[in-house]
Amino acid sequence: MNNTWGDMAQYDPVTWHWIIAVYLFMAGLSAGSLLIGIGLRWFNKDQAQGETSILKAAAIIGPVAICLGLACLVFDLTKPFHFWLILINYNFQSVMAIGVLALLAYSPLAFAYAILVLRDELPKWGLGFLVPIAKLLMPFRKLIEVLLFILAIGVGAYTGFLISAMNAYPMLNTAVLPALFLVSGLSAGAAANAVLALVMFKTDSHDKTLAKMHGLELPVMAIEIMFLFMLFCALYFKGGAAAVALASLTSGVWASVFWIGVVGVGFGIPLLFMLLPAATRHSKGAMIMVACASLTGVLALRHFIVYAGQSYLS
Amino acid sequence: MTKRYVMVHDENKCIGCQACNVACRSENGVPEGVTRLQVRVEGPFGEMPHLHFKYHRVSCQQCEDAPCVKVCPTGAAYVGEDGIVSIHGDKCVGCMYCVAACPYKVRFMNPETKVADKCNFCKDTRLARGEEPACVTVCPTDALVFGDANDPQSDVAKLLNTKITYQDKTHLGTKPRVYRVPTKRGGI
Repeated sequence: MNNTWGDMAQYDPVTWHWIIAVYLFMAGLSAGSLLIGIGLRWFNKDQAQGETSILKAAAIIGPVAICLGLACLVFDLTKPFHFWLILINYNFQSVMAIGVLALLAYSPLAFAYAILVLRDELPKWGLGFLVPIAKLLMPFRKLIEVLLFILAIGVGAYTGFLISAMNAYPMLNTAVLPALFLVSGLSAGAAANAVLALVMFKTDSHDKTLAKMHGLELPVMAIEIMFLFMLFCALYFKGGAAAVALASLTSGVWASVFWIGVVGVGFGIPLLFMLLPAATRHSKGAMIMVACASLTGVLALRHFIVYAGQSYLS
Repeated sequence: MTKRYVMVHDENKCIGCQACNVACRSENGVPEGVTRLQVRVEGPFGEMPHLHFKYHRVSCQQCEDAPCVKVCPTGAAYVGEDGIVSIHGDKCVGCMYCVAACPYKVRFMNPETKVADKCNFCKDTRLARGEEPACVTVCPTDALVFGDANDPQSDVAKLLNTKITYQDKTHLGTKPRVYRVPTKRGGI
């Protein structure tokens, strides 16, 4: 502090840090994995053979990821033990208040759905006492699925709306951000579903549902790249402070995070693996590696958007 | 008629002495390390010998369309009946959304109360007693004028009618209620 006017630390435009980036990642991951799991279940007509490993994986990731994310969020508050205030006071102009409502419905539903889908697994994990609840929920399965699917779209997009609602930051204040976050949440969800299905439920790497999910990865990635391109184009053509924010792509640590983490690891590694012979790329090890690269890429994207986005003011 | 409290900072009269900054800290009990009000001395601009400094008041702009109020999830940030943007400390959970959303970066987390804090024109203390905000009273060069702009007889209304003023970041549509009289280059 060498200024006559005092300490400048509080004026750092970067207000939200990595914990928020992790929360945005976890919420997107939770929503994405459930969207993929439920979506594939609806798409698969032959449902006679019981729950697929992908759906079981999604049923675990959905509630666990959202709980980890919410834990990050609560402990990032300056008054973490007063978090209940946010549950009883609502300002419906605020994206965060609407998000709280969505999460209040989404999180318990995700748990209910997990109990329902994992009913045959629960006794193996010493959670057999939950099986009667699964039986109670069974008649409402379709309703829970539809509600959860809609809420998952809401939660996935909400993470984008949350930070795009701030017109102080030109890179965040764009219409494409909620869409980008929803789509990159889908790619994280697909990747995490694949890892859990392969590792925990010992799915065969040539499993039909896994192959269908695998087929989604390229189009999802293409849409993600397109949305990123749209984001940067919008900033470039808007000019002024928005165009200045593009400097985050060429200088500083967040440029490295973007080009190495998001582009290199997140898009590059999965694309390179697609060039390998089918036998190699469909091996369990290769699939897990690709999935981990996708997850790293999505986590890097959340960090890039949170930090680079907040570094430039309108 | 409703009140419309505004403040005018005359950047020609300001000398950057920080008396306002200190008075604010003492009046509002602002802890060490954080500030509700700073006057940044920027410059020098221009060519020798015609140099000038710019005195930039950094404090809550009391936006009529305040981003912090819009984003606050609990309604802790609110607009009072007097139009002044303030904070219900007991409703604030410290999510930092308002601090992030403020385009002027003048909100901060009070390290003692753990609640978002900022200038409220001394609403609960001096204004409630019918006095002017601490910064206005203490200013040695009378660079600050405060009052109800809806009252045509007020000093502040007359000043806004006679002097050229500008506001910060009007392109964001926040309608700030801190007006500034720009520095005239080459002396007063």
